[in-house]
Amino acid sequence: MQFESAVQLLCDAGVDFVVIGGVAATFHGSVRVTYDLDIYYSRVSSNVRRLVAALAPSHPRPRGFAEDLAFIWDEATLRNSAILTLRTDLGEIDLLAEVAGLGSYSEVKSHSLIVNAFDRQISTLDLRSLIVAKRAAGREKDLSALPELESLLEAGEE
Amino acid sequence: MTELKALTREQLARAEQRLRHPAPGSRIEAAREYGIDMTLLIEQLRLTPAERARKLESASTAMERVRGVARKRS
Repeated sequence: MQFESAVQLLCDAGVDFVVIGGVAATFHGSVRVTYDLDIYYSRVSSNVRRLVAALAPSHPRPRGFAEDLAFIWDEATLRNSAILTLRTDLGEIDLLAEVAGLGSYSEVKSHSLIVNAFDRQISTLDLRSLIVAKRAAGREKDLSALPELESLLEAGEE
Repeated sequence: MTELKALTREQLARAEQRLRHPAPGSRIEAAREYGIDMTLLIEQLRLTPAERARKLESASTAMERVRGVARKRS
């Protein structure tokens, strides 16, 4: 997964997004290796337009989607899907317009931190909210991340 | 918006102390019993967030290469 290229692409296109999931966990000190970039993005029309334009050259297609089926990557597709798990030329990118446990995009933004990484300034979820999201997601892979994340939280408490 | 920075020397020392010697009943103690290697977390916390991100990119790329080779062989 080309995390750096993907993040730079989105930042340089002016997309309003927050990095969540495994990459956010890495920023906070997790040692688990993740293979996809999860982003929570603003659904404002202009942002959806920028996001579609930014990813178009990377040929996004839903993962597990049959190769012989037509897939149209446009604003309507993005607007009609709260969660899109994509395979792109840069790797696997998950686009989320809703995340269980986190609330609206503006609420998520208010629980975000700025991080300098991949040669850009990006927004990422704070550790507490990341734990809330993992717990709310409830999948085995999310729940198994909790002991490490909770340790990092406890280790860093004032 | 607050910036996520590398830990200061004091923060790192405190985190290391807690991770190496977790308080009884703490979440860190539970995680250690679960199998989390605290020495790896300590090493990771010594890095800046940007260094952690670079390390992830290298590890992810290397693992994907291994998975690709394994797929070809099967």
